[in-house]
Order: sequence, then C-alpha cells, then structure tokens
Amino acid sequence: MKSEFAFIALPISALIAPSAFAVQYLTVDQAQRAIFPRKSFTAAPVNLTSVQRKAIERASGVRVLRDEQQVWRVSGGGWFIVDEVVGKHEFITYAVGLNADGSVKQIEVMDYRETYGGEIRNEKWRAQFVGKTSKSPLKLDSDIKNISGATLSCRHVTDGVKRLLAFYEVALKR
Amino acid sequence: MRSRSSVEVRRARPLLGTFVQISAGGKDAIALELAINAAFAAVAEVHRLMSFHDPESDVSRMNRDAFHKSVRVHPWTSRVLKGAYEFSRNSDGVFDITTARQLVNWNYLPRPDVRFSSRSWRDIILEEKCNVRFRQPLIVDLGGIAKGFAVDRAIETLKANGVMAGIVNAGGDVRVFGSTPQLIHVRHPAAPGRAAGMVRLRERAMATSGIYFTRKKDGVRYVSPLLDGHTGRSARELISVSVAATECMPADALTKIVFSLREKAAPLLERHRADALLLERDGAPSWIFHSPCDTHDQT
Repeated sequence: MKSEFAFIALPISALIAPSAFAVQYLTVDQAQRAIFPRKSFTAAPVNLTSVQRKAIERASGVRVLRDEQQVWRVSGGGWFIVDEVVGKHEFITYAVGLNADGSVKQIEVMDYRETYGGEIRNEKWRAQFVGKTSKSPLKLDSDIKNISGATLSCRHVTDGVKRLLAFYEVALKR
Repeated sequence: MRSRSSVEVRRARPLLGTFVQISAGGKDAIALELAINAAFAAVAEVHRLMSFHDPESDVSRMNRDAFHKSVRVHPWTSRVLKGAYEFSRNSDGVFDITTARQLVNWNYLPRPDVRFSSRSWRDIILEEKCNVRFRQPLIVDLGGIAKGFAVDRAIETLKANGVMAGIVNAGGDVRVFGSTPQLIHVRHPAAPGRAAGMVRLRERAMATSGIYFTRKKDGVRYVSPLLDGHTGRSARELISVSVAATECMPADALTKIVFSLREKAAPLLERHRADALLLERDGAPSWIFHSPCDTHDQT
C-alpha cells in the first residue's frame, strides 16, 4: 500500500493576502509563572541614562534601541525581564529570567510575529501564481500552527539576551 | 490534539540557532509544562553538544583535536556522526558534514582557530566507545542533521513523561505524535511568509530545506549553506524540498540529498520509507515521491 503523503496546495487568495505568521505563546503573567513558578513579582522598570546605554552597548556589542526596560524583581532573588527584538522578517517579544547571581535561568518566547512586505506588491512576480493553484483548493486555515520550511535564524534574540546580560551588569547588579 | 476536557500547552525557545516550538496535549496543564521543560532540556543538551559556535561542544573539541588524537564524544554525538556517515556513504558524498570548510569560507560559520583543508567524510574515523579521529586536518558541522536528531529526542522525552500527543518544530523540522493527524504548512519556497500548502502528518516527521533566508551573493553568483558535498556546489534555486519519514533525523538529512539529486534520490528515500515533496519557485509541486512501503497508515 502506498503512503497517504499528500500535498494540499493553497488557493491564490491565500498567497495574495497580507503575509503574516504570528503566535502568542505567553502573556507577561504566564511567562512569569513559567519561568519562576510560585514566586511573586515586583515591577521595577528601569530608564537607562545615556552613560548606561553606552556602557551596555560597549560591553555587549549590541545596540540599545530603547532606554526603558520592563523589569520585575522576583521574590527570593532573581529578575524577570521582558524585551523585544525586531529582525528583517520578525518581531519577537520574549522573557528572560535571571537567577540572583545574574546567570540566565530560562528564556521564553512570548510573542512571535513574522512579517513580509514587498514581494507580493510586485505585479510581475505576482503574475507567476496565476493559474498555478490546486485543483482542489481547501479553505485557508488562518491559524497556521506549524510551518515547515527554510529556517529562520534566532540571532536577534541571542543578541538581545547578550544585551540584557550587559544591562544586568550595568543597571541591576549591586 | 483536541478531545474532551483536554488542554494544549505551547512554548517556544531560541535554540539550535532557530526557534524551537513544542506543543503537548493532555489533561493536566502542570504535567504538560513539566514534560515540555524536560523536552526543551533535551534539545538544549543537543545544542550544547553539537554547536559549531560553542568552543566546549563535542563538535568544537573534534575540530580542534581529532586530527591529533582520539576525541571521546557523548553517545548522542556519536549517534549523529554514525547517521551522517551512513547518509554520506549512501549518497556518494552528496551529504557531507566536512563541507563546514566551505561554510566557513562563505562566512556562514565563524572561522575556528585550527588548520583545516579540503577533505571528505571518508577521513572521519568512528572508533570504538564513542571515540572519533580525523585522518586529515578537517572540520565538521552537524547543522544538516542535528536539528532532526534534537526533534527526535524531544519527542522521546515528551512520550517518556506520559504525554499522549505532541508536536515539536525546530525551525521547520517537525515531528508529530498522537492519534490525531496534524496539518503542517509548508513555506512557499520564494515567499516564506506564506504557506504554499500543507501536508497531513500522523506519527511522522517532516523536514523542509529551502534557501530563502540564507541565500546570498558571493561576488557575482549566489551561494547558500545547502551544499552538495559531491560536486562542491551550493543550491541557488528558490525551491524547497520536504521529506517525511518516521524519525526526524533521517528526514532532515534526506532533504539535503533530494535537493541535489532530485528524482535520483528515490531509491534512498525508498530504503528509509520516506516521502518527498519538491516545490518549485512558483510554489507548485514538481515532484512528489510516495514511500512505497507503508508503515504509518493505519487510519
């Protein structure tokens, strides 16, 4: 017997629709509980001075785009930080839990959004799709839960964590 | 993953150079979270062992020392090296982890502080007890196979923790388990913000390779990290190859082989009971290979 492996092509309308792939994994509250179960949190936002910003940039080699940083102090020691990074194709909100000694306890992606512009506005490029859709188009499942394809790098988040570790040294450590 | 009074927990973390998403379904959210944490720990362990960037990883230790002396690696690294060796042999070197040299030259990987030259997978000796030796000065990178292995370990961990259904997706290398089939979208090879279509998977893995995010100009021509070890050429076309198999490690490795060999990879796919899907630049499939012997269809 042959395998049931079948490819279901999406209709043209799905290709021309605005392009976005987004998942919300955790709210701030959920991320706090995921990284520090059974702890309490005290908001302790930080506004960086330009001296601090430069010190962080020098130490991490990563640019600081915002002076305000969302930080919570964790009961019993440790820090919970929410941060955002923007890449060429992605916009990611993530949370980092730091142990009392400043080491990384856990990283959780909270919001993941991929956005793409340009390619579909190009009429010539778009014309390639015409007449090439499936004969049995399926209703587009707007909730794409899993996508397989070329790998998107997590470099921006890795750089963001590097920046937050320098932020800890400059603004939180005492 | 729907059933009466069931919950689904979904998490994502940056690991293996990409985003790893793990979902698990069941009755008790706390138990699911613990299982997902354990599964992420397995992925993190693969990352720690097989990262090219981390100087303490097995991969870096081999690249530094294996030409001079035997290097003892973790049993997991040994399994991946054995898997890679089999795929190199069965593809006549199309799949070759020593192409790391070229990836360094094209700045896809950082230049390690060791001497290395143009060598092949045949110069890697897998000795007894997880020891590895290089016959020639060379470097390896497990980027083309370790993600699939990590997905398999994560699935194994979820199952061992009593999870009944789950999905692990490491930057496009996906594996699903549980009684309900799952729809996995496949990125459009030339417009990866869109899905070109989808595949239904049940108790199966699927990996996809494409070069949309990684293709770049090297002088006048395009290069990509998807290299044919036999010809030394890199993929340039905005096509994508998906391979479905029982486990994710073979699916991962086979995508690279099908990318180069296309239809000529059929016998190898058959041997691994794998299916393949080749999407052209316009998103339309130009080749679909069905594994002839069916071990997974029990609907």
